[in-house]
Amino acid sequence: MADNNQKDPEPKVGVYICHCGGNISDHVDVAKVAQEAEKLTGVSVAHTNMFMCSDPGQELIQKDIKDGKINRVVVASCAPSLHELTFRSAIKRAGMNPYLYDHANIREQDSWVHHGDPATEKAVALVAAAVSKARHLEPLEPIRVDARNHATVIGGGVAGLRAALDLSRRGIQVALVEKSPFLGGRVAHLNRVNPTGEKAADLIRPLAEAVCNDAGIQVYTCSRVVRFEGYVGNFKLGLKRQPPETPEDLAKLEKWAESGKKEGDYLPFAGYYPQKVPNTAEETEISTGAIVFATGFKTYEPRKGEFGFQENPEVIPLPAFIEAVAKEKPKGGTLTLNGRPIRRVAFIHCVGSRQIPGLHEPDDQGNLNEYCSRTCCSATLQAAIEIREAFPETRVLEYYRDIRTYGRGQEDQYERAADHHVLFFRYEPEAPPVVERAAGGTYPLTVTVKDTLTFGETVEAGVDLVVLAVGMEPNPIQDLIEMMKLPVGADRFLQEVHPKLRPVELANTGILLAGTCQAPMDMGEACNAAQAAAVKAATLLSKGYVELDPFVAKVNEEKCTGTGACVSACPVEAITLKEAEHQGKKIQRARVNPALCTGCGICVAECPNNAIDVMGWTLKQYEEMVDAIVAA
Amino acid sequence: MANDATRSGKGKILILATESCAYPGANSVGQAHSSYPANTYILRVRAPVLFPEKFYLDCFKKGISGIIIMSCGEECPYEGAYHALAKRIDRVFQMMKAHNLDIRRLRLTSICTVCNRAFLKEVNDMNALIQELGPPEFKEAA
Ligand SMILES: Cc1cc2nc3c(=O)[nH]c(=O)nc-3n(C[C@H](O)[C@H](O)[C@H](O)COP(=O)(O)OP(=O)(O)OC[C@H]3O[C@@H](n4cnc5c(N)ncnc54)[C@H](O)[C@@H]3O)c2cc1C
Ligand code: SF4
Repeated sequence: MADNNQKDPEPKVGVYICHCGGNISDHVDVAKVAQEAEKLTGVSVAHTNMFMCSDPGQELIQKDIKDGKINRVVVASCAPSLHELTFRSAIKRAGMNPYLYDHANIREQDSWVHHGDPATEKAVALVAAAVSKARHLEPLEPIRVDARNHATVIGGGVAGLRAALDLSRRGIQVALVEKSPFLGGRVAHLNRVNPTGEKAADLIRPLAEAVCNDAGIQVYTCSRVVRFEGYVGNFKLGLKRQPPETPEDLAKLEKWAESGKKEGDYLPFAGYYPQKVPNTAEETEISTGAIVFATGFKTYEPRKGEFGFQENPEVIPLPAFIEAVAKEKPKGGTLTLNGRPIRRVAFIHCVGSRQIPGLHEPDDQGNLNEYCSRTCCSATLQAAIEIREAFPETRVLEYYRDIRTYGRGQEDQYERAADHHVLFFRYEPEAPPVVERAAGGTYPLTVTVKDTLTFGETVEAGVDLVVLAVGMEPNPIQDLIEMMKLPVGADRFLQEVHPKLRPVELANTGILLAGTCQAPMDMGEACNAAQAAAVKAATLLSKGYVELDPFVAKVNEEKCTGTGACVSACPVEAITLKEAEHQGKKIQRARVNPALCTGCGICVAECPNNAIDVMGWTLKQYEEMVDAIVAA
Repeated sequence: MANDATRSGKGKILILATESCAYPGANSVGQAHSSYPANTYILRVRAPVLFPEKFYLDCFKKGISGIIIMSCGEECPYEGAYHALAKRIDRVFQMMKAHNLDIRRLRLTSICTVCNRAFLKEVNDMNALIQELGPPEFKEAA
């Protein structure tokens, strides 16, 4: 077999142009593209094929490699996200380094958006650019680092519990780190969950028990991560376990003490209590291979005066209402809360969600929650139905902007609510319902709204209680975000690499996302993400080593004079200066830790000596591509 | 060799599109079969922060008429990269002025994976601009 790798000094590029049925060839003259490609410097062969991704298409490349005709490959076809890996594997199977390959996207970015001669000309230019890059490609090896068979899950809500259990069942040792004394997160603060109507307790208790009885899982409650170093496969985390001090934790512990329950039991609206709380603070260190974030959400705290909140004791957020109602025995008749009959209750949707710049007031830090919190419509309907079923004399009014019962089985809830004579009013964001103290009459509050369901009629209703369907905000984990340098979106939730193609991965390799720390989700979605993150982490660690994309920064030792510009530019501290010998003198030279480098390239632009580059995406390759485009 | 785009003075637009946002965004425009001018050349980049100031000036010097950086904006998956990029582009603008280049030839924008309309608007706006401005005339700075 010919040596098709780096040792061959002369690049011999094979160009393969796909018809994609007619998807490409109906608009691009592929034969002409092949003809033009053959004229390019460094091109040895140019072929067309009906479907390059088919076996015969791939075999075309493999045969040319095996015959020694080519040592670089360019495929011109659909988007690289679809078949880059296909072609890299085909090349590898033929014995060539899979990174000696580039891709020209002549379908999504050409034949589907341009027609006739311009489409063909553009295909020629894109192929020329890819060939220019390919000529300068060097063989790369995936970076291999040892990995510990251990993962850490941060957050013991439903997502964290699910992820911990799934990881352990795949043979990975797990540390589950929960900041509060209880497991179960926000779900433990629900009564029945929508849309199945199951008791939250019946879901959380067995899950938490399974976690706590699993020999492979070490649970740390009252604990936080306070130190972080290392990289995928080899993270080191400092954990601090300390006596609880937040008012919420202390209140829950008080309830727990009153209940007389022992460790290893569950208390509704507190959670599962696995172990005693510590009396003194203590620190430990754990070595771990991957980290799953499951730090969840907190509910929006309405501003004073927002829909009468904190100005009227009869205005409460939905979680408080759910907890208050859960204490009441369903006895028919009218709901009574704190001895007060609730003849009419008004639910107001979208409180602290879907906020509009210019219309809503930002919080102290200038943040607006422009997103939909996704779970509040369904949770409100769930609460409304429960009231109507258990206390049929209590009337329910719902004030919504849109009903977003988007999930499986949730639209039925909307219909059920309507069947239960829940009365709906629809408001525009510019004219939200106004909650005021009633100036007399039998109800303490009035809610006035311009109802678009009745074509803008102003409707006033007296009510005993107003419940605000507060939205979700990410839990405050700024300390972790800064410590681990995690990307966050404009909405302040953790930001995945790609919302569709890599939905549970962060750009920081080895750190994964589970649940509502990423975006508003319901329980099912949170568990979906948790299971995906667990499998992803398990796959990463199961071989005992991890292979990372080789697209990381590399220092050109000849050129590096140790200015340190890259060191200060690197946002993830992947570069350090190390002493080295150069012509008999001791100098400082930059050294990249490939396991830490994310390959963003920030250092490339900063180095005054052009002594650092991202492998596979070098500046020189880009310059050559621009030259090819200009010349085409 | 020059194709019709350059011969007819239409000029070429270079698009630096991030692999996690704008590049799939451009694919999404393709999936919608929404056409746009063919004098646009998309380069896939991990993060445009990789390019030094000189890269942009060299592109104009070589004859590229317009450059659109389609980044992920605040959604950038690389910590700190977007802010560093925004600062760099400010410096490039200063340098462009020194070289007598209309700074509108370089545009920093963010395009998401499904921002079809925004993508089309950026491309069409830049195309209209370079038709109006004609080819770049790069003057060596004094
Ligand atoms: C009012 C309301 C009603 C709802 N009703 C329903 C419903 O009926 N059906 C449904 O499917 N969904 C419902 N939801 C949504 C449901 O609550 C969430 O989907 C679920 O709680 C998400 O779980 P999680 O594990 O992602 O986050 P969480 O439940 O928030 O758990 C996160 C955990 O992480 C811990 N944590 C946070 N920061 C740290 C840190 N730094 N270190 C260590 N630990 C940390 C927290 O203490 C918590 O235990 C409702 C939500 C609300 C607000
Ligand atoms: S789920 Fe419903 S109440 Fe919640 S923010 Fe979205 S539209 Fe508003």
